[in-house]
Amino acid sequence: MMRALLYAEKPSQLPELAGFAEKHGLEAYVLVFGSPDEVKKNSFKAFKRVYVAAAEKPTPDQLAETLVKLYDELRPSLVAAVAAKNNVDAGARLAAWKKIPMFTEATVVELAEDKITVKRQVLGGRAIARISSQLPAIVAIPAGVYSYSGDTGAETVEIEAPEPRIKVTAVEPKKHEAVNIEAAEVVVGVGRGFRKKEDLAMAEELAQILGGVVGGSRPVVADYGWLSEDRWIGISGKKIKPKLYIAIGISGASQHMAATLDSKIIVAINKDKNAPIFQYADYGVVADLYKFLPILIKKLREKLGK
Amino acid sequence: MPLNIAVLVKASLDPNMLRSKASREVDVDNTPLAISEYDKNAVEAAIQLRDKHGGKVVVVSALTWGPLAKRSREIEQVVREALAMGADEAHVIVDEALIPGDPGATAAALASLLQKLGGFDLYLTGEAAMDMMSSQVGARVAAILGIPFISYARELEYADGVVKVKRDLEDRLETVEAATPAVVSVTGEINKPRIPTLIQIRRAFRKPVKKYSLADIGAELPGKPSLEELRVVAVQRKNIIIEGESLEEIAEKLIDALIKEGVIKA
Repeated sequence: MMRALLYAEKPSQLPELAGFAEKHGLEAYVLVFGSPDEVKKNSFKAFKRVYVAAAEKPTPDQLAETLVKLYDELRPSLVAAVAAKNNVDAGARLAAWKKIPMFTEATVVELAEDKITVKRQVLGGRAIARISSQLPAIVAIPAGVYSYSGDTGAETVEIEAPEPRIKVTAVEPKKHEAVNIEAAEVVVGVGRGFRKKEDLAMAEELAQILGGVVGGSRPVVADYGWLSEDRWIGISGKKIKPKLYIAIGISGASQHMAATLDSKIIVAINKDKNAPIFQYADYGVVADLYKFLPILIKKLREKLGK
Repeated sequence: MPLNIAVLVKASLDPNMLRSKASREVDVDNTPLAISEYDKNAVEAAIQLRDKHGGKVVVVSALTWGPLAKRSREIEQVVREALAMGADEAHVIVDEALIPGDPGATAAALASLLQKLGGFDLYLTGEAAMDMMSSQVGARVAAILGIPFISYARELEYADGVVKVKRDLEDRLETVEAATPAVVSVTGEINKPRIPTLIQIRRAFRKPVKKYSLADIGAELPGKPSLEELRVVAVQRKNIIIEGESLEEIAEKLIDALIKEGVIKA
């Protein structure tokens, strides 16, 4: 059995780690931060032992320092975590201290006796890399790939968390809307082609007729702040898999398109006939969105009887 | 006190200019290199800090894609973009042993170069490179140098030897402080990188770009994984441009097509 050290910045990541441990038949030692009571609810039988460090929202240096202590004690062949930002940050430090490879966002992991092979999305999601290495190594698995429904009751051991070296002076939670563009069947995407925030009402109307939701590309969300981050379609935002994706006024940067690869049908509306978006589209309309959308909305109302 | 800043910049394969072979392997040799998107944000942040506090902005980079002879000149062009934006000098490592790149090897080489160049007050880099998106090099360099690392900065301030950073995490924004020297990785939200003018681009050719081999900087690399395959994801779309006499006709044709596809219901 391969010995692995799994780690999680919070207990809610434990089911995914249990699924990963089960899939690969690992002798899994787990480091998790959070309240011991919360951890007990997720101390799955797939784990050999769970070390709990009672600190909420640990900083990456707290994670990394605790991790390296357990690494030296357990000498695992594999270290793994969910690819959340703080986990990746901490893992990269451990990797540097121990001079071992790390693979982030490893969508496929294959383990042999002393070797690991991973597949990763690279180049803005436009290509897949297959990389292999001798063990020990660290992998960060994408969130939402593994799950586990087995029993809890693994041995838990409380350990101390070191003091953070970085001073955290303020924490503000991000606001979330009650919208899930990742699960939507129809997504209307808006981009830089819209001249002002109020004009997004046209996209809203279109989405409403089609029973869908509005999402946006990076400029609209991150630069202009017209939409909340919950609606950001992109490799750093949300990935969508609707039946129908209508991209309006979006040029089609690879980071955006990578997040839409699983759409069944993609429609692009853009006035620039050379926009890259048309390469990624099933149906393209070369037109000014300000002229075309009102007509499309009117015709849809007629056809769909709404 | 002047603020000396090193910016870690990657000459990335440009995902928007990807070339592929008939076998769907990425045609690495013929895909151009470009300065990685978020590294531009790091350069911009560094220039702004220097303009406020004085000091200099030094760009460091390591070539991670071959073929070496051709790329050796190309990486120079990439760092010249940072120089045109306003960085003061550039230092690049060009060595066959770093190709193809791996975050462990690249970070070890960059850390050696940075140590050779002498102490900086602040080290900035992008949150991830746009090609391999590993998000590791900044953290690894900080770990090797034994200094604090702060990742995912969307706001950054400096005063009296302390950096104050707003970190952008999945569920929260965290304001943190650390004493310098420190390494900070920035997100695309931190600023809007300036676009250099023609005069600035021309002037950048007079700024120094120094090249080093691994032997020059005395770097020792950890074992490197092997990149066995790099394949383009097949995008199979219909690519039908709907045409018509009028926008009304185009709208009708589009709606009919979508009904036929079964993605909207009449």
